[in-house]
Formats: sequence, C-alpha cells, structure tokens
Amino acid sequence: MATAAGELPKAARGKKQEDVGQIPQWKLMVRRFSQSKLSVGALIVLGFMYTMMIFSDFIAPYPHDALDSNNAFAPPTQIVWGPEGPGIYGLKQELDIERFQWIYTPDPSTIYPIRFFVQGHEYYFLGLFPSRLHLFGVEAPPEANAKIFLWGADKEGRDLFSRVLKGSQISLTLGFFGVFLFVVIGSIVGTASGYFGGALDNLIQRLIELIRSFPDLPLYMALAAAVPLTVPVTVRYFMITIVIAVVGWTGLAREVRGKVLAFRSADYTAAAIAAGASHWHIITYHLLPNAMSHIVVVGMLAIPGAIGLETALSFLGLGILPPAVSWGVLLRDAQTVQAVVTYPWLLIPVILLIVTVMAFNLLGDGVRDAVDPYA
Amino acid sequence: MANGAIGTATATTGARVVSEDDVIRVEDLKLSFYTTLGVVRALNGVSFNIPRGKVIGVVGESGCGKSQTGLAIMRLTPGRIEGGRILFREFNAGEEIDIVQLDKNGPEMRKIRGNHISMIFQEPMTSLNPCYTVGYQIEEAILLHQTQDKAEARRRAVDILRKVGMPNPERIADSYPHQLSGGMRQRAMIAMALSCTPTLLIADEPTTALDVTTEAQILDLMRELQHEIGTSIMFITHNMGVVAQMCDEVAVMYLGRIIERAAVDDIFYDPKHPYTISLLRSIPRLGVARGQKLESIKGTVPDPYSTVPGCPFHPRCPAAIPGLCDAVMPDEVFVAGSRTHTVRCHLYT
Amino acid sequence: MLSFIARRLVNMLFLLIVVSFVGFWIIQLPPGSILDVQIQRLRMQGGSLPESMIQAMRERYGVDDPFYIQYWKWIQRSLQGDFGTSFETDQKVAERIYNRLGISFGLSLTALLFTWLVAIPIGVYSATHRYTWPDYLITFIQFLGLSIPGFLLALVLLIMASRLWDQPIGGLFSPQYADAPWSLAKVLDFIRHVWIAIVVLAIGATAGLTRIMRANLLDVLNMQYIQTARAKGLKESTVIWKHAVRNAIHPLVMALGTTLPALVVGETLIAIILSLPTIGPLYLDALRSQDMYLAGTILVMLSALLLIGNLLADLLLAWVDPRVRLE
Ligand SMILES: Nc1ncnc2c1ncn2[C@@H]1O[C@H](COP(=O)(O)OP(=O)(O)OP(=O)(O)O)[C@@H](O)[C@H]1O
Ligand code: SF4
Ligand SMILES: [Mg+2]
Repeated sequence: MATAAGELPKAARGKKQEDVGQIPQWKLMVRRFSQSKLSVGALIVLGFMYTMMIFSDFIAPYPHDALDSNNAFAPPTQIVWGPEGPGIYGLKQELDIERFQWIYTPDPSTIYPIRFFVQGHEYYFLGLFPSRLHLFGVEAPPEANAKIFLWGADKEGRDLFSRVLKGSQISLTLGFFGVFLFVVIGSIVGTASGYFGGALDNLIQRLIELIRSFPDLPLYMALAAAVPLTVPVTVRYFMITIVIAVVGWTGLAREVRGKVLAFRSADYTAAAIAAGASHWHIITYHLLPNAMSHIVVVGMLAIPGAIGLETALSFLGLGILPPAVSWGVLLRDAQTVQAVVTYPWLLIPVILLIVTVMAFNLLGDGVRDAVDPYA
Repeated sequence: MANGAIGTATATTGARVVSEDDVIRVEDLKLSFYTTLGVVRALNGVSFNIPRGKVIGVVGESGCGKSQTGLAIMRLTPGRIEGGRILFREFNAGEEIDIVQLDKNGPEMRKIRGNHISMIFQEPMTSLNPCYTVGYQIEEAILLHQTQDKAEARRRAVDILRKVGMPNPERIADSYPHQLSGGMRQRAMIAMALSCTPTLLIADEPTTALDVTTEAQILDLMRELQHEIGTSIMFITHNMGVVAQMCDEVAVMYLGRIIERAAVDDIFYDPKHPYTISLLRSIPRLGVARGQKLESIKGTVPDPYSTVPGCPFHPRCPAAIPGLCDAVMPDEVFVAGSRTHTVRCHLYT
Repeated sequence: MLSFIARRLVNMLFLLIVVSFVGFWIIQLPPGSILDVQIQRLRMQGGSLPESMIQAMRERYGVDDPFYIQYWKWIQRSLQGDFGTSFETDQKVAERIYNRLGISFGLSLTALLFTWLVAIPIGVYSATHRYTWPDYLITFIQFLGLSIPGFLLALVLLIMASRLWDQPIGGLFSPQYADAPWSLAKVLDFIRHVWIAIVVLAIGATAGLTRIMRANLLDVLNMQYIQTARAKGLKESTVIWKHAVRNAIHPLVMALGTTLPALVVGETLIAIILSLPTIGPLYLDALRSQDMYLAGTILVMLSALLLIGNLLADLLLAWVDPRVRLE
C-alpha cells in the first residue's frame, strides 16, 4: 500500500499543519498579533516615535526655547543642493505693512551647507550625560540669518521641529505613566474589593460611585486647575499624571473586581483555600494571572485617551504650562483659525498627535484581539 | 484501489432504497467552513432519507456534524454547501424540491422554513427572544404562513400552547421567556415549531439541557404530537437511551459521514460498525453486573482541520485491517440479508 | 417600579449632596482666590488700594471663612435658586449659567439626535455586511472618528470650511443678524454657523456608538433566538430589525446617560475654537480665574445632569427590556 501516501494530498496537508492545541499560549498570541498588519505597522510607527523621543535633544538642531525675533513665523526652510551637498539660503525679513505680517524672502546668493554630527548647544542626553553633539546643523556665520526650520518657526521664532521633539518628551510619556498608575491602582483596589468583600468592598464601591458621579472632563479640568500654578515643571508633570490616574482607575477596578469575584468562586481557588494557601498566594498565583491579560488590554486601550487628555488639558491652559512644552502647549498657538490659515505649519503637532493616538488605538486593538480573540 | 481513497468515495446513493414516500432525501451533502485557521470540512458526503411520519435518530459524538446537517436542511448553516442535494417533498407523491438550489434567504426557502420544515434547538433558555412575549413569537410564525388575521393567530397560538401541555395557555402567551422554566420554554419552542403543522421537524438535542423528569415529559409530548400530526422528525441526540425511546430508525454519524443506518432494533441488537458497537458499550445498562467497567471509546476525534486517510475511524478502531482501513475509504453497503440496514466498513464488503 | 424610581431618586439626592461637597472642595483647593487676582488688577490700574476696601471685599466674598462655612453659605443660597454673585463679573451666577446652558443644551441634544440617527443604521449595516469593503470603510472612518480628539477635528474641519466652502467661522450668528429678530434668513445663518459644531460634537460619539452597535449586534446575531427567528421563515430584514436590533440596543440606551453630559461638556474645547457662547468656556474661565462659586455651581450642575441622565437611561431601559421592567 505504499502507493497510497503519494495519492493523498489532503492528508499530507493535514499533517504539515501544526497541531494548534500544542503551541504555547504566548506564541499563539504573538502569531495572532503579527497576523494583523495594521497593528504591526502601528508598533513600528510607535517604535520610531519613541526612538525619536529618546534622541530628541540630539536630533533637535536648536534649543526648544531659543527666541529669535528675526525669524518670527518663518516658514519651513527650503533645502537646496549646493556645491557641498544639501544646504539652505539665508532669509530676508520684511514687514508687510498692510496685513501686518512678516514676509520672508530667501537670498540665493549664498548657500549655507547642512552639516551632520555637528557641535551645538549643550544638553544632557537622557538627562544624565552632557553632550554638544547634534545630528545636523547649518554652518553659517552668526550675522547671516540662515537657520534651518524643518517645520517652520512659531511667533517667537522658535524652531517648531525642535519644539515638537522636546514636547514629545512630555506628550509621549505623561499619558503612558498616567495609565500605568491607574492600572496599578485599579488592579490593586479591584482585587482587594473583590477578594475581601464586606465593608471594604462596600466602601470602595461607594467611592467609585462618587467619582463616577462627576462628568469626566469637567472633573479632570477641576483637578488640573487645583494644581498650583507656581510648582516646577517636574512636579506639575507628576501632578497631572496623578490627576489622570485618580479618575481613570474606577472603571478598571470595577472590571477587575468582577473578574476576581468570578475566579474566587472557581473550583481551583476553592481547592487552594482548602489546601491552606495564604491570601497573598491565592491573589498572586491564581487571581492576578487570570485577570492579567484583561488588565493589559484595558491599559493599552486607555493610553491613547490619556495622551489626548494631556493634550486637551494643556491646550486649555490647565495641564502643562509654558515655558515647558508638550504638544498641547504647542497647539495653543493654533487655537485661532486665523493663525492656522496663515501659518499652516503650526498644525504639525496635530498631525503627530493624530498619528500617535491612532497608532496606540491600533496597537491596543491588535493586542486585545491577540490576547482574547473571542472578545 | 487508489480510486477508493478519501474524497472520491461518492458512490453511495446506489445502495439506498429510494422510496416515493420520503419527506427528505439528502444525497452526498458536503459542507465546509472557511476559517482563518484553515478549512473545516464539517460534512463529507452525508446521505440519508427520512420516511414520511417516521422519527429518525441521528447520533454521534460531539462535533461529528449532526447540527450542521440539520441546519443545512434549513439552509441556516453559516458554512458553505459545496456539493450534494437535499430533496424535499412536501406531499405524498408531490414534487421534489432541491433545497440546495434555492436562494437561502429567498421567498421559496422562507416559505419552507417554519412552515414545512421547522427546527427546535438545544438551548431552551436562549432560543426565545427575551424582548417579546411567548404568544407573540408563536403568532409571528402563524401570521407569516397561515393567516393574516391577528385574532385568529392569537387563538391558534393559545390552542397550540394548550396542546403542548401548558397549564394556563392564555397567561403563558402573555409571559416573557425569562418568566418560564427551561421545560416550559422548550414546550413553547415545540409549540412554535408545530404551529404550522410542518412536514418535517428537526429537533436538535431538544432535551439535553433539561433534567430527567422534564426530559421524559417532553419526549412523551413529542411522540404524542408526532402521532397526532404525522410530522416526520429528525431527532438529533447523543443519548442512546433517548433514541430507544423516541426513534423508528437511527443514523450513526462519524466525522461528517453516516457510517451506519438501520431500524432502531437492528442498531441496538445487531450493530455492525465497530464505532456503533463501542458507542453502545459506552452507555450504562440495566442487567450489567455492578463493578464491571463501562467502556469508553479509545482515543479522541481527530481535529477537524486535518483529514484522515482511509476509514476515518481507523485510528481508534479495534478491528482495523492494516493496509486496507488506513488507506481506502469504505463504501456504504447493505448488511447481508437486509434491505434497510446499511454500514460503511470494510468488515462487511 | 415606582418604589424603584423612588429609591433611585433618594440615592441620587444623597449622591448629589456628597458630590457638591467634594466638588466644592476640589474647586477651592488652589491657594489664593479670585480676589487676589482682582486686587492685583486694580492695583495695576489705579495704584494703591486702601486696606479697608480690601478688607471689605474679603468679608463680602467670605474669602477668609473656613471651607465648610463657605460651602454652607453657597449651598444655602443655591437651594434658594441664588447661585451667588460671580467674583469676576459681579453678575448673578444663575443668569450667566442659564444663558449659556440653553445654548449648550440645544447643541448637545441636536448632536445626540444626529448621533443616534447615524450610528444605529450604520452599525447595523456594518454588522450585517461584515468583511465587505463598506464594512472596512465604515470601520476605518469610525476608527478615525474615535482616534482623533474632537478639538483637533474641529480645527481641521474649520480650516476646510473656511478655505474650501467659504463658511463663516465661529460664533452663533453673523454680525448683521446678531440682534435682528428671528427670520428665515437668521435661522439659515444660525445653521450655517453651528453645523460644524454639531458635526464635530457628534462625530466622536457617533463613531463610538457605531462601534458599540456593531459589536453588540454581532453578539446578538450569534444568539440562538436569532436562529429561531430565521427558522420561522422570517425575512432577514425582519430578523435583524425586529429581533436583533431590539436586543442590541441596550448598551446604547445605557450609554445615553453618559452621552448627554459628555456632549454638554465635550464642547468645551470645541466651543473655544469655534468661539461659541456655551457653558464649557464659561467653566474654563471660572476655573482659571478661581471664581469658585461659578465653577463649583457648574460642576455640580453637570454632575446632576449626569445622574439624571443615568436615571432616565435606566427608565428607558426598563421600557425597552422586559427583563429589567419586571424585576
Ligand atoms: N461556525 C463554525 N465555524 C467553523 N467550524 C464550525 C462552525 N460550526 C460548526 N463547525 C464545525 O462543524 C463540525 C460539526 O459541528 P456540529 O455543530 O454539527 O456538531 P454536532 O455533531 O452537532 O456536535 P454537538 O453534539 O456538540 O452539538 C464541528 O467539527 C465544528 O468544528
Ligand atoms: S473500515 Fe476498518 S477501520 Fe473503519 S470501522 Fe471498519 S474495520 Fe474499523
Ligand atoms: Mg450540535
């Protein structure tokens, strides 16, 4: 019957396929995740953005707060090809009396070359190591008005590209930490509430009910407004993080509580209790691992909202305040339609924000589908 | 020999007695699901007939395709029908319609569904829409197929509720499903299914979710109504005890095929297929010595994404013939000396 | 049912008391008060300010009272319909709020209506045509709508409107109509001004509800009773609209409780960009100038709105779902 094998293509195909039941859980998750092209793309985009953020001081050609009245509202610089490779022209600044706007005309007589890995203003890489090395810069004598504004300049002549990079340090991290904090609070409180029950549970549920009786945004606004205006930026950063967490944890705590209640009544938990396991052991070995995937998914999906929230609060002047920069602070310049129509590059932070928020949403969706394909 | 390999074994209809008086004849039905993980071939050439006024039991392990066969007849399966015919004959000597050829949501099919063929599902708790009263849901079917008159529909709905043994049919008609117990809901489902006096009733494990007493009552009720109305029933179950109580004939399914088909007595007293034999051994019986172990069928059903060469049962079959059973698909044949008992096994070819 | 409502009302009242207390506490947290801001301003304008006058103002506003006394005064007056005098404008808080609350409410209700009218049919279409390109398109648009924060969308739409369609930007009326009596032209002018606000307001909520509707309907379509309905021979459209949608609509009804207040305040940012005289910008101003009576009153009012919205949603749910009704 040796002939039979060759004539059974279907059977052969059946054999080649892996037995789905024997692949470890995490591998299945990775496989399911990588099947979603959009989510993988989002992961790559976010990876790129966070890399840029880490190296932001190195990439930024100018200090984010360097004022330059000669370049107020200078448009994105045109890059030309000169004898020494890429370069830029100097700019001539004139005032349009009628419309009361600055007008910039490039002066093609000289091309100032763009150099890579140049020495520039001093910064601390990762806040630790002092350095003057920058990815690129323009070689020009100080008297020539030749600065490179990849994304234009704002009303004070500050380089928007450098400012956006600087702003990413806050905008890409604050929401993230806020969510991290609320996930931790939510998980702990939810677990405690569901596991111990009784008066504690009752108290926590009342507290959650109270917090949820406030509409979100006004509550966030009131809390953010309660942060004193005079505190230093770092303190403000953490306060706003806490503001995000203080309201956000309630939903997760409720869900975790529900899960814990269900797991608590499960047979293996009863068995563990019967076997004399401690509370700590039961919580960390039986309850948390079971709720973990859910917690991670909720957290992932909450990040984009938290990032948007930080931006919104800063945009309203309640979150991060100038002179510190976040994307929301940058957007304050784009508040009026007049400004945006005249200086469209001021909208670049909007684009970045949209890309980031969407990427996080896609990533969250992918993770959810990978972790829990039936949800 | 090689021609007999899987996928090509279709010459089965020759072995069946074609009766003028079948309400339904399923011929070589093939059904697949295209999922992201691969193609699931749920039915691999199912053939059987249901004679008028008879109760046919369809038994087999979980996942063998019983429900999908029923849903395919209703054209309610989410899978894709890839071949075969389902011939339905409403009246004696009437015209046969091939259900497979109809548009699954078209008017012809909708006229058959609920009117000539109806179906009861396994889960009485979720088979009724929680938002509408029981009476309303029954009336809906009557208004659709039988009469335009609302009062008349209402009267008939209450009638049929009374017929299925509801204590206070008027009140029940005004209740919402969640106010009824599981047994009552299943009665309501039966009432709904029989409200248009269908030619064929497909009952998909109608009593699996019920307790034993309720199960007995529901089975009695079904038998009674079946006698009264003359409906044929395709009774899907994996409980052999229920089969003995309910059915005239039995079809045993394994991995999307019918592997044995006989009158109920033949199945119980003279089973032929090794799978049927193990299936019967795995049920407890009176008279078997205490302490004697119940047998279970060795091994598990192969996963639905792969295809087994030869007889699909050979990896688990105690009587498998090496070299033959693992390579060649057996054809359906009559058991020697019988005109009704068919089996699909090399031991009988 | 009546006792259920009564119990809910009592619970709500109790919650509202706690909410007002906590809300007021949060609002007065920041050190200093609007008085400091005003005194500074007066000083800058007119040089020295007699100490006695400052003292008189402090007393009048009760700035030096301990928190609980401030709260008690505020609540007492609120209950008499007097929400106090705004620190900043000396106008009655009640008047300032009512003026704007009306506009906020009108806008939000229109947006809500828009949301439902759009979200339900689209959600149903999307769920019943899963994995077809319109579904992918809807999912994509919905994703954009959910991902892009509303105020960013407002900015983008505004620019498009002003550049491409020559639409008026901001405000409720063009100057020539602002004080004119109502006429058809005025109504049209009004619509031309607010449609962007309504679309932008509604878009996030619409996207969210479409998504919820789609997911729920998909769940419901897997339920056994849907098979039962099909097995009766009902038309697919009847099965969907009568048997499936009716069951899938619960979460939408439940979301109603949160959607309305969310819309009322969601316009904060949008109203700033569109310069609409609604409650949002008023609240923001009050917070920033530490006008605590005004801010506190708005916060508590919005909370009340949320609680009332939830109650209404529950009642509506009982009306839609017999299981809730008969409990
Ligand atoms: N929606 C679906 N998608 C993919 N495969 C499916 C789907 N529905 C059923 N199947 C497959 O079809 C096969 C037959 O399923 P079916 O429901 O008919 O089994 P069954 O005999 O009724 O089992 P049970 O006794 O558990 O009800 C199963 O192997 C299952 O994997
Ligand atoms: S054909 Fe062979 S393997 Fe299949 S049941 Fe018969 S004896 Fe067993
Ligand atoms: Mg089944």
